[in-house]
Amino acid sequence: MTSEFRHHCITPPYLLERLLKDVDSEVRQAALNTMLTTAHLRGERAVRTAFPGVATPGNARRTIYDCRNTTSLPFAVLARSEDGPESADVSVNRAFDMLGKTRDFFQRVFARNSIDGHGMRLDGYVHYGYEFANAFWDGRQMVFGDGDGRVFSDLTGSLSVIAHELGHGVTEHTTGLVYHNQSGALNESMSDVFGAMVEQWTLGQTAGQADWLIGREVFTPQIEADALRSMKAPGHAWNTERFGKDPQPDHMSKYVNMPDTYEGDWGAVHYNSGIPNKAFYLTAATIGGYSWEAPGLIWYEALKASNSETRFQEFADTTYRKAGELYEVGSAEQMAVLGAWQEVGISITGVSAGLARARTRTVGQNGDATAAVRALTAQVQELSRDVAALKGRVTAGG
Amino acid sequence: MRVTLATHGGLAAPVLAGLPPDVVDTHALPESAAAELSRLVAAATEAAAGAPEPRRRAPDAMSYSITVEEDGHSCVLVQSDTDMSPEFAALLRWLKEHAARE
Repeated sequence: MTSEFRHHCITPPYLLERLLKDVDSEVRQAALNTMLTTAHLRGERAVRTAFPGVATPGNARRTIYDCRNTTSLPFAVLARSEDGPESADVSVNRAFDMLGKTRDFFQRVFARNSIDGHGMRLDGYVHYGYEFANAFWDGRQMVFGDGDGRVFSDLTGSLSVIAHELGHGVTEHTTGLVYHNQSGALNESMSDVFGAMVEQWTLGQTAGQADWLIGREVFTPQIEADALRSMKAPGHAWNTERFGKDPQPDHMSKYVNMPDTYEGDWGAVHYNSGIPNKAFYLTAATIGGYSWEAPGLIWYEALKASNSETRFQEFADTTYRKAGELYEVGSAEQMAVLGAWQEVGISITGVSAGLARARTRTVGQNGDATAAVRALTAQVQELSRDVAALKGRVTAGG
Repeated sequence: MRVTLATHGGLAAPVLAGLPPDVVDTHALPESAAAELSRLVAAATEAAAGAPEPRRRAPDAMSYSITVEEDGHSCVLVQSDTDMSPEFAALLRWLKEHAARE
């Protein structure tokens, strides 16, 4: 006989109150800590809303909680808040800093105010579980484990991973791509796209300079693996005796079919994300310059124009349409998008494959010159900023 | 009693998919450890009975299936990072600690 039980557990306030009367003093203390933290945060909200113009808690404020290696988020303790002092815990500070970088990226690049576009609080939970080798977005907050120290390191050590998790929140608040099959793989891919862009933006890297790896810092030095995933070369991020070879496909002909169950990774969402990942990389590499400019804007606008059940074909068509709207029909940007999807085995609807190849060849030749001009322009702008900064220093120094 | 832990999904799903499940047989354990494992299994099973279905699929959350086999019967407990009972979490921790020591 085989039976299967599933359990869902949250800790409501009435239960916390009951736990305050528990015979175990540690349980009573933990319940008290949680209620005090909640009251403290409620107090912050009440005070701040009384002062118009002062940053409100909803203004993408960061709060990091320490789970103290338990799996209970309600019992996690406050470790660092937006206005609070730095923590003595490196994981807390890393999560705090990287959430800030990701928040700044969305604000400055896409003029998006936090995850939901309305200043949603950014709550991160670190030291989750025992040797927890994972990070996830639970619909309200980001949760990070310490890794097991043997295969996986502390998950807060990777900016691309932290931005990836926050990216899930952005996707949830834009299209809500359902987390299964192709829409789930697109959901995963968008998080990798955001993860790569946030890291490249932070480092000031062009598409050509970046390595396009996701989770480069996730494995311990003992494990011979480059990263969790490679957007530039899906299927080539790792190849070890213990884990086998990275199974991510880079073309529709290698699409992985798995069951839409927890055992099947909800229809291979972490596998097939390699296909749209490669399309984004190819678009960025062809256009040249910074990935968060034209390629990022096209993908972001396509995400906003998608719906919860969007599949690869529809998303590819939307990126092509958005590229035409944002730049110009037949522009280098639109042709880069066309060629990228073509290369991963997805033909844009209404554009014949032969025409697509001819156009991308032509634009590819012109695209090199366009990319060179863009790179030079970016360098001139950078120099101008440096000169302006130097002038400012001279003036300030008298 | 034989207890098998399999881990699925998560940020590194394709990496973990290549790993075999962890198996513990109480016959191979010291008496006190076997009793502790039996107690944790009973608590997790009782907590899971009649529990509602998980509320949603959280991106990158891991799922865990713990199969308990005894006297020709088997029972599978499945929970994920976002809907885990304290009893299941305690059993999971015991199994992970045991696997790390092996």
